[in-house]
Amino acid sequence: MTARRFLSDLSLTVCGLAVLVFLLLPVLVVAPMSFSDAKSLEFPPPGFSLRWYQSLFGSDIWVEAGINSLVLATISSTIALVCGTLAAYVLTRGAFRGRRLLEANFMAPMIVPAIITAVAHYIAFARLGILGTFHGLVLGHTILAVPYVVLIMQAAIRGFDIRIEQVAATLGASRLTILARVVLPNLWPSAAAAWIFAFVLSFDEVVVTLFISGAHLTIPKRMFAELIIQVNPTITAVATLLIAFNLLALAVLLLVSRRGRLFERGY
Amino acid sequence: MTLPGSYESGPVASQTVAAAHDVAAEATAVPARRRASLRQWELFFLLLPMLLLIVLIFDLPILNAAYWSISDPKTGALTLGHFRDFLDSTAYLRIIWRTFFLSLEVTAATILLGYPLAYWATKLPPRWRIVVLGLVVTTFWVSILVRTYAWIVILGSAGLINRLLMWAGVVSRPIEFLYNEFGILVGMTNVLLPFLVLPLFAAMMRVDMRLLQVAETLGASRFRIFWQVFFPLTLPTLAASAILVFILSLGFYITPAVLGGGRVPLVANMMDLLINRFARWETAAVVSVVLMVVTLSLYAVYQWLREKNA
Repeated sequence: MTARRFLSDLSLTVCGLAVLVFLLLPVLVVAPMSFSDAKSLEFPPPGFSLRWYQSLFGSDIWVEAGINSLVLATISSTIALVCGTLAAYVLTRGAFRGRRLLEANFMAPMIVPAIITAVAHYIAFARLGILGTFHGLVLGHTILAVPYVVLIMQAAIRGFDIRIEQVAATLGASRLTILARVVLPNLWPSAAAAWIFAFVLSFDEVVVTLFISGAHLTIPKRMFAELIIQVNPTITAVATLLIAFNLLALAVLLLVSRRGRLFERGY
Repeated sequence: MTLPGSYESGPVASQTVAAAHDVAAEATAVPARRRASLRQWELFFLLLPMLLLIVLIFDLPILNAAYWSISDPKTGALTLGHFRDFLDSTAYLRIIWRTFFLSLEVTAATILLGYPLAYWATKLPPRWRIVVLGLVVTTFWVSILVRTYAWIVILGSAGLINRLLMWAGVVSRPIEFLYNEFGILVGMTNVLLPFLVLPLFAAMMRVDMRLLQVAETLGASRFRIFWQVFFPLTLPTLAASAILVFILSLGFYITPAVLGGGRVPLVANMMDLLINRFARWETAAVVSVVLMVVTLSLYAVYQWLREKNA
């Protein structure tokens, strides 16, 4: 009996660990590869060097793509934060007919497959004459990020005590004053989290970008193109930097939204 | 979807609340009607930027694509011709079926791998549980492109697995794991696994342990307790998450394009070709509409399952 129990516990541990390794393997393999001195994708790498980082930062194309990605993600996540936060406030505090429908509409870009949004944007932007422009790209990224902002900010506003707002209203503050002077100053950690979330989403976006960006380069777009054509070890350096960047963003997000909260609840 | 927890008001705020609660209750009754009408106006004003954004940049483009699927590109007259062409073409239908079956395979693989991982995590001591979940969330945060690319390094002909196999003498020549359906299956399963593991873990933690204890007291074997008590209680969440994984697989673009090497065309890649290579907008619009209807119907089932379970 106990022997069987031990065996079943052991097999569960082995299965669980194996799946965890499978899940983590891509992240674990890419980083060492980026320090390889070999031209082919050998793993484990035969020797160590920084040549792929040198070729990355020495390349005008990658530097341009990096700057574009940063600018694009900054602008689109900021627009998404402003629009999404205001909308989240109305959705949470307002009581009017069609609220649920409106909410579903705001969430739609998150549910509809990105490839459909990409095709729809391509056709619409082409007819409006903004296909391939930077402005069009910003709008496309904003739409993809905004549902997450609404979601995060709705949760934040719901957790904010409505009586504080009622007090402010009693003291004669208008809705806008309440929002600007009472609600938002208290919700900045969630707003920061939402902004980081939107930023990373935009920074990693590939599908819609491929369709509507025209000649504009972004890091994921360039990386995708290189992966399709040939496999160049420079990509491992890009990939490693992307992992570091995303994990840094996650760390900042955890810090601002109070340590550990992400794991304790919210799924 | 993992989201940062909501922000709670601090100690200062709650003191303010306690002190002012009575005043607030008294005052809300007085000029309620006049203020209510003003409030609606202000609400609309606050909503306006988002409304403009979503209508102009999302709703209208989607409706426009739907219109393209049923109208003649030259005359603008309504027609069902594009749908008929689509249904008549065996090439398109073959791609649709292949996508459908591959998505089923991916869903089955995430269930087979994800369930044991989530179950194992619930059995761990709390400290280790946080580490394991933290690692799962971490992979969620790494770009899909990077995670897909890594499989070229792992499964490629000079990659980790092939070198191990050749070193061990199992094979004499590298096995072709990539640029076929197997490679896509591995990559997509890897990317989509957290979408199943995280909700499933939460559902498992919600299972009332007393039910299992009762079953044990009544003399049920561990095997029976698991399959007749525990598993059925997690089934609604498993089904909902599996549907979510299936929906996400249907529209997947990046992983099939990279790991399939263009040899395994799926729906999303077909849409890419229709737009960017053949400029067949109306056919791409037809595929969009079909994919959209399937996705939204399945999403409705997903929501229903989640609400039923909540």
